[in-house]
Amino acid sequence: MGSINVGEVGKGTRLLFDNAPWLVLEVNFVKPGKGNAFYKIRVQNLISGNTLEKTLRGGEKCESADVADAAMTYSYKDGNGYVFMDQQTFESITVQPKIVGDSADFLLENMEVSVTLWNGEPIQIRLPNTVTMEIDYTEPAVKGDTQSRVMKPAKLKGTGAEVPVPIFCAIGERILINTQTREYAGRAK
Amino acid sequence: MAPMAIQSSVRRSGIFVPPTTTWHPSATLETLRKRSELVERVRRFFAERKVLEVDVPVLQGGANLDPGVHPFVVETNQGPHYLPTSPEHPLKRLVAAGYGPVWTLAPAFRADERGRRHAPEFRMLEWYRPGWDDWRLLREVLALFDVLTGWGITHDVLSYRTAFAKYVGIDPSTCPDAELEKLLGADASAARTPSGAFDHFAALDLLLTSKIEPHLGKGHWTVLVDYPVHVAAQARLRADEDDHPVAARFEIYREGIELANGYWELTDSGELAGRLETEQAKRAVMIPRDQRFEAAMAHGLPDCAGVAVGFDRLVMLALGLTEVSTTQAFAWGNE
Repeated sequence: MGSINVGEVGKGTRLLFDNAPWLVLEVNFVKPGKGNAFYKIRVQNLISGNTLEKTLRGGEKCESADVADAAMTYSYKDGNGYVFMDQQTFESITVQPKIVGDSADFLLENMEVSVTLWNGEPIQIRLPNTVTMEIDYTEPAVKGDTQSRVMKPAKLKGTGAEVPVPIFCAIGERILINTQTREYAGRAK
Repeated sequence: MAPMAIQSSVRRSGIFVPPTTTWHPSATLETLRKRSELVERVRRFFAERKVLEVDVPVLQGGANLDPGVHPFVVETNQGPHYLPTSPEHPLKRLVAAGYGPVWTLAPAFRADERGRRHAPEFRMLEWYRPGWDDWRLLREVLALFDVLTGWGITHDVLSYRTAFAKYVGIDPSTCPDAELEKLLGADASAARTPSGAFDHFAALDLLLTSKIEPHLGKGHWTVLVDYPVHVAAQARLRADEDDHPVAARFEIYREGIELANGYWELTDSGELAGRLETEQAKRAVMIPRDQRFEAAMAHGLPDCAGVAVGFDRLVMLALGLTEVSTTQAFAWGNE
């Protein structure tokens, strides 16, 4: 979208090069006392997730990528993918299954997520760090043992995903899941 | 299901908007106390040696034209002024006026320099020694560094050419561009000008910062000397042991960090004018010459040596910190 001076590039800037949007993770400025300045940046490809290091020259112009995060609500899944509604514009957008990836395991109807758009096209979705899910099926609960670290598998309602839960959990119970680690994070209040 | 907590900020720009900053200082109280102690030690060091402390203007009528150093311009009702990139010009005017050895710990500003070890605003500790050469001044700088850090004065001396031979395996004065390009690999694109031409000197700077500097000053001071003529700035030229012309300039490194830049000063005002003219012509932005400074040089700068020390970096190293911003009461971004 726009051209920016490398001096304006900071952690969090989204750049466009090699036909892909990149997120700047780190910027390091180096310069001999009298001489040319350079920026050594570490960037992550927002589509493939690959990271690489790149050296840019002081004063160089960079292309910034037209990347934005929008808050969206998940509506339903159809033959083309997952349909979300933009909370600002109320427009519907379909996100392909390969972009949703294993986030689908914790994606429930009406859940609010952050969708990253590049040139208006979704390239990434980010779930809330913690979500509340209901246990659809698990082995009977072991009563009284609330300190136990022994886990058993539980199938989640709505998505059918399986996660390990402590043995005291029962069918119908609402639990918290950390979406980053995909682990049980406590009972829902 | 329960409502989800989510940051629903929408950023439509490619430029990251940092969170609202607080009003808190950038340095801890302990750091500022130690920094103040170091300033006191500097003051005592120069008082004992009869070097006069002076204050110089922050708004200067002309700018320094060192290679790769860019000033901030300030509009005033008396025309544009320049924030000093170092206090070099006013200090040399004092020396030219016969005021003897002088020192200052002055604010210095460099546009576009921003990083863990660079700040657009910092303090420069700079002094001049009439009648001295660079080697004599070097010993005094190391003595001061020892007073401030307690790390002694043990040092090795490495010429610019030897450093390239040792760490890059080339002779920087004869290495062809094709080989420099190969050595840089993926970084080679950063050594090209906007028009696509390969910039030999930028390539050397890139190799210096990425392949040489990280090795310098490990466990003792490293002094880099005999700089090439194109970065002589205001140092005089002399012949090295192979009879090549080199700049009488030194830089002191510790833990890969450049701390001091010293010269046996150029006193030939005609040669200086020529260098300034060349540098001025290279600039994309027109920077006028510092007329009063050049008049002082034409009047005559006594034989002298001078050195500039990045004081915040020295404080950073002495206190075991890793970012200059944490040595400043209010750093850039929190100004």
